[in-house]
Amino acid sequence: MTNEKHGHGADVVITGMGVVTPNAGSVESFWEANLTGRSGLSYERRMDLSQLPCGWVAGIIPDDIKKSVEDRAGAPGRSWTDMLLHATVDEALRDARVEGPLDRPAGLLWSRVSPGPSGTFPEEYVAYMETVAARYKELGDDRAATLRRLRAERAERVEQAARTGRSASDSASSADAAEATTFPNAVARRLGTPLVTMGLEATCAGGLRAIAEAARLLRTGRIGLAVVAASVSRNTHYVLSQYGQLMALSRWKGAAEQASMPFDSRRSGMVINESSAALVLETAEHARRRGVDTVHAVIDGWGLAVDISHVTAPRIDTVERVVRGALAHAGVAPDDIDTVNAHGTSTRLNDITEARALHRVFGRRMREIDVCAVKSLTGHGSAASGVVESTVAALTLCRGVVPPVVTCTEPDPKCDVRTSLTPVERPVDTVLKNSFGFGGQYASMVFRRPPNPRPAPATSGAEH
Amino acid sequence: MSGTKGATRTKDTSGIVITGTGVITAAGTGPGPVLDAMLSGTTLFADRPEHAWLPWPLADMGLPGIPWPEGDTWANNQKYASATAHAAVAAARLALAEAGGAENHEEAIRCGTVVATGMGGGDELTEVIPKLAVKAETDPRPLAKLLYDEVPDYTYLRGIPSQIGQFVCMAAGFLGSNLAMYGESGASGLGTLAAAMRLLRAGELDRVLVVGVQPPLSAIVLAALDSEEAIGTNAGSGAGPFDLDRAGILLGEGAAALMVERAEVARARGARVVAEVAACETLCAADRTSALDGAVSAVLEEAGRRPDLWWAHGSGSVASDLDECRTVGRFAAGVPVTSSKGTIGNTFECAGLIDVVLAIEALDRELVPPVGLLRKPDPALGELDFVHGAARPVARTGSALVTTFGPTPRSTTGGAAMLTRGSQ
Repeated sequence: MTNEKHGHGADVVITGMGVVTPNAGSVESFWEANLTGRSGLSYERRMDLSQLPCGWVAGIIPDDIKKSVEDRAGAPGRSWTDMLLHATVDEALRDARVEGPLDRPAGLLWSRVSPGPSGTFPEEYVAYMETVAARYKELGDDRAATLRRLRAERAERVEQAARTGRSASDSASSADAAEATTFPNAVARRLGTPLVTMGLEATCAGGLRAIAEAARLLRTGRIGLAVVAASVSRNTHYVLSQYGQLMALSRWKGAAEQASMPFDSRRSGMVINESSAALVLETAEHARRRGVDTVHAVIDGWGLAVDISHVTAPRIDTVERVVRGALAHAGVAPDDIDTVNAHGTSTRLNDITEARALHRVFGRRMREIDVCAVKSLTGHGSAASGVVESTVAALTLCRGVVPPVVTCTEPDPKCDVRTSLTPVERPVDTVLKNSFGFGGQYASMVFRRPPNPRPAPATSGAEH
Repeated sequence: MSGTKGATRTKDTSGIVITGTGVITAAGTGPGPVLDAMLSGTTLFADRPEHAWLPWPLADMGLPGIPWPEGDTWANNQKYASATAHAAVAAARLALAEAGGAENHEEAIRCGTVVATGMGGGDELTEVIPKLAVKAETDPRPLAKLLYDEVPDYTYLRGIPSQIGQFVCMAAGFLGSNLAMYGESGASGLGTLAAAMRLLRAGELDRVLVVGVQPPLSAIVLAALDSEEAIGTNAGSGAGPFDLDRAGILLGEGAAALMVERAEVARARGARVVAEVAACETLCAADRTSALDGAVSAVLEEAGRRPDLWWAHGSGSVASDLDECRTVGRFAAGVPVTSSKGTIGNTFECAGLIDVVLAIEALDRELVPPVGLLRKPDPALGELDFVHGAARPVARTGSALVTTFGPTPRSTTGGAAMLTRGSQ
């Protein structure tokens, strides 16, 4: 593979990474989980989902990791999804050895998926519904009276917040319209420089899209470095009921850790999770000038597409188009791709569609291409998944290992995708990464092994 | 979307032009009626029975009357279209009527949309959830099952911003890219224009339809907004932006669409150029004045000229107008200043995009319209040339500076754009 049109100095590279998922609380722990097949999935015990037709298993961040996030990133009035953003941004900035104040504007591109004032946790959703019911029983459809009540409730919370330092938000765990502004402001203060910001939404392609937006922004030369972050926490009665209506969730009734099984013939839907990840991106030249000699990956190119034929179903043609778009943008041929980090949601339709499109692009080489599917262990974190899984793509390049898909024990011959039950050690120069979503969203990205890959830490394995 | 290896680090200065616009406000469709209202001193904060529940005046866009496209596909998908999507598609179609959609697949995959949205959603749920919450108290079904059975199956998809962009792409026949940006970073819509310009300059797309929408705000959002800074309760003379007696933002609704493309693309396809965007930038900083200062400095430097007209955010908030005038004033001495918010209210998410279209219309008419509801300029805002009373002349060949703040009082984002009518 060549890179003739520009020197390595202009390459956009990843110099810092941070991760919190249901199976890990740091990048190194997450990588170890991917290699050993440690699952983060469990049966949802916080609410009664027994009468839903699907979706009984969830990817919930366990208490010990949650506490570590709260310790690292908790602040008065800060929502849980913002804590997740801050915790992973903090890990990524430390990893990249970035300290403010910076001497140039930076970029901040993020996606936060939370249900808003109805809360992020099941108990909050119940409390929300009780409040709404009480209000409605008293005030009915009287909009003026309802607004007066909401203003009074709000005023009381603001007054309480001033007294206690707690959040004035409608929910302890969800950012509302006002508090949504505090994340970029906090990052601007931490980095000591103005930020070009994009709080973006591209459904489940949003994370990969944010990386593409950051890389493009870096290539303009307007900013010195960019922080990309995405978090999700939304396992509530409402969200599960709606994904249930779409029949998008796993119907697996066996061991929880088997519920998400991309490319397996028994797959029956996805498992939705709470998770977060962050990256620090900059040009190779910028990193070198800061004295950062090793990097995680080069972002070589990406493809973006929208499909207008259906609101939820993926299409083979469009997956093929977006993958070919990423290859063309990176200036590589299908033969140059060593491994695929799939969207692999474990739904019937996504996995067969993605697999067929990959067959179209790679043809007979699909027999040789090792495919990994991180959602097998984490479940699906909407926009966060693209950033979470990109950390795995980067480590695949640096460490020369393709993680296994331990839940794909009965590979679907119709998908005919090469997955392994054990880590595959092999040199990897390029990874193709996919993310797709509702609303006709498609993104694909090519990551390349840098000439100066970041070595594994001498002693690996923080506890989580 | 596929481009050439997009590693062009040299600054691409190829001109970005606007080839079609769509605006929907309380004045109706198009920028003309808003300019007419500003020129005649007409206020659009109408007293309507539907607003009687609000303790604040509102300039509403008449959403129930906004049409949805005809045809089977549109009819089949309408259930997934929120009120926001209806307004977005209507504004997009106005811009498409001027600029044209994609004519074939090759063109379509190089065209996309960026949508500014965010504040005010959830109205679909406010119809349904309170009744279900009461039902849940006695219903034997577990809560998740109750919601599964009773919430209409289109509700979730309706609330997704990407769904709006997909409808816009359907209207345009675009296949290249669909992105939504929330107002917390969009600086009232200018952030989407800046993002679109980066897509174009990188060569990834040839054309981008930038769309912003501010639908009616829900009660819960209004309550939160008002608690941060009191919303204006009076829309009479003297309540407008920059006035000594201004007392809070005035509520508006609206939608805007801009077709933007590289000048050579517009030229090659023979499109009529409405205006050129010389520069556009939004920044978030520790405080909003630093953000706005950085954005204005950057666009003036990139445009390489001084503005002949300053179309300000001018929200009518005591603090925001003060911050804006103190920040931008040093760049705009002697430049006539106007604002649309005393006429059509603050259209939050899309206010900056609407103002871009209005500024172009002003250059086209060679008139800077007066600020609505401005009676006595506040001397604390400095020696600025606020247009009030009569309109002011401006050269057709002049340039307009548009400035914005983020949509909420606590937002620390600022944006700026420089526009000219180009050589038309």
